[in-house]
Amino acid sequence: MKTAVIGTGVICEQHLIGLQRVDDARLVGVCDLSPAMASYTADRFGADATYTDYQRMLDEAKPDVVHVLTPPPTHLRLVTDCLDAGAHVFVEKPAAPTYGELEQLIDASNRTGRALVEDHNYRFNTTVQQIEKLVEEGELGTVGEVEVRMVLDIRGEGGRFADRHLRHPSHDMPAGVIHEFITHLCYLALMFVPRDTPRDFDRVSALWSNHGGGDHFRYDDLDATAIVGKTHLRIRSSCHTGPDCFVLTVRGSEGYAETDLFQPFVRVVKPRKGGKQLSPLVNQFANGMTMVNASVRNFRDKIMQRSAYEGLHALVERVYEALREGRPMPVSFDDMDSTSRLVDALVAGQETA
Amino acid sequence: MKLLVTGSTGFLGQAVVREALRLGHTVRAAVRPATDIERAWPGGHARLEIARIDLRRKQGLADACRDVDAVIHLAAVKMGDFYDQMVGTVVATENLLAAMDEAGCRRMVLCSTFSVYDYMRPRSGTVVDEDFPLEPDPDARDEYAKTKLLQEQMVRDHAEQTGMALTVIRPGVIYGADNLLNGWTGQQLGEKRWVRIGANAKVPLTYVEHCAEAHVLAAVKDEAVGRTYNIVDHDPPSQRRYIKLLQSRFVPRPRVFLINWTLARTVARSGWLFNKLFLGGRAKVPSILVPCRLHARAKPYRYNTPRATDELGWSMRWSLEEAVDRSLQVEQGELVLGLPAGETLAVNTGESAKATDHAEAATA
Repeated sequence: MKTAVIGTGVICEQHLIGLQRVDDARLVGVCDLSPAMASYTADRFGADATYTDYQRMLDEAKPDVVHVLTPPPTHLRLVTDCLDAGAHVFVEKPAAPTYGELEQLIDASNRTGRALVEDHNYRFNTTVQQIEKLVEEGELGTVGEVEVRMVLDIRGEGGRFADRHLRHPSHDMPAGVIHEFITHLCYLALMFVPRDTPRDFDRVSALWSNHGGGDHFRYDDLDATAIVGKTHLRIRSSCHTGPDCFVLTVRGSEGYAETDLFQPFVRVVKPRKGGKQLSPLVNQFANGMTMVNASVRNFRDKIMQRSAYEGLHALVERVYEALREGRPMPVSFDDMDSTSRLVDALVAGQETA
Repeated sequence: MKLLVTGSTGFLGQAVVREALRLGHTVRAAVRPATDIERAWPGGHARLEIARIDLRRKQGLADACRDVDAVIHLAAVKMGDFYDQMVGTVVATENLLAAMDEAGCRRMVLCSTFSVYDYMRPRSGTVVDEDFPLEPDPDARDEYAKTKLLQEQMVRDHAEQTGMALTVIRPGVIYGADNLLNGWTGQQLGEKRWVRIGANAKVPLTYVEHCAEAHVLAAVKDEAVGRTYNIVDHDPPSQRRYIKLLQSRFVPRPRVFLINWTLARTVARSGWLFNKLFLGGRAKVPSILVPCRLHARAKPYRYNTPRATDELGWSMRWSLEEAVDRSLQVEQGELVLGLPAGETLAVNTGESAKATDHAEAATA
């Protein structure tokens, strides 16, 4: 398969590391407005050619798949043009800044018969997959609550978002900088809502705050709840608590499971052999062992430069596998649709504090 | 001459602006949009203009380059991940070159670095001059070396393609107020403890004001076009001599922990071999355990820079001891390195009667 990328920033590196695992993928083009960035990326990942004009790349390189990795406001034009040129598209999150634009992208995908997939990478991280398996096997009972909590020091001096000299494009998104991450929070929360529950978001409460003040950040904190059917979703984004973490907790009628994607482990509290009396002790012992193992594994992963992007690498593999075998995409239109609608509902239901 | 100075509020940039004004030139200082220029140049100067631009985006760059005789390009990013440095150093330079073309500016002095050299392969004791080999394996080095190598090559290619008059300055280790210790000389482990790798290697030091003068001379001398200059002050000290000098000036006297050079390179070599043989070379380890990075900081070489002295007429105004004392006086507030006196200064705004803020002018 002939592959091309548009946009060669930080996330491009991770897409292309994932692509290196796909045997039949050949990087035929790298496009960026900066020739230097395009050239560096092409050299590093062995691309056939570099471009500063994506239309020219589509015409000349004729890629089968294009990874669109530019800021979200550019996606509608770029993705539509790629689909119209006959390429499948793997687009970075959020696929579109609003649900209305996402609908246009899905329409274009249906019209052209080309696949469109949005990056929901953390769904494919090992520990999230482990929790998904626990839920599917009924180990936690019926899921009643999902909490996703991301703590990132986005206001930290020297960081991209706090740079007052060059305003990061995400500041102009509907949810400001939090829009940069909110797709992750929403798809992780939604993936554990029982499948037969309609994705209606009419019971949403979102408190958006700018605790750090000033006019550079629109918001730096989100505290939201959405009730979907009987499942309560809690979505938190904070930069005033520490340290950085990305915690997912899934609570069911029988037990709960928790992970932190930044220092992965899976802690599971559930009924154990030994009945009600001994389960608390067995849970403590089992989770103690889990944490010991995780500490060794995480230290090794840190040294070996394995990052939380492992899910993205796995997703890239799955996307190409699905394309090769004509199977459904690992991230469906329904996944993208409900995620985008939840984001819009959180933004529309915003109460500022 | 009228000089555009990028990176003008940085450690070297402020010294270059002062030096250019002292030598009678007019300076247009490129300053990022949110920078407080009053802190950098209190009161401004009649021959100092401010251009509020950010080299990472193209807006306003061509205006900033218009009507200047030469650009002294110092701006670079040393912190952050590779992409921060790539954008802040390489893409920024790419944008600047395009803007210079648009504005018809045909002369650049590029501040490169000693980090572009290969310290792994040449033998100890070799003289590091302008023809010293460049790093052939940038990926093994740190982000700074990688991006500066890319930057220098890009500027050289551009000069060759467009005929732009280029001078490349490669300063050694620039020292001065608030920058007396670094990876080459020693590192602080808290306030009272320093650590130093090796003792006898010469440190290619250049005092910030000397280095600044070299940049300005390179911009104004016709002989400098097409040339590369290493900038190291005469008679660079050994690591031991430099650290002892600093120790003698600090109260209380810091304790220095020495890591023997032979031991350090043996440990680094062993770590590198283990990584390569058993971990596929994928393990990320501290710089001190990466041979090419360790060698870049502590391998004993010799330094000699007659080219800059002969061709630019560059000389040192202060001895090592005087420069260190000067730096400490600045740190302690006993000496203020202000802009040269003798001309009417505007009050507070940093803009003189002649000064213009280019971003605002362009908007208007």
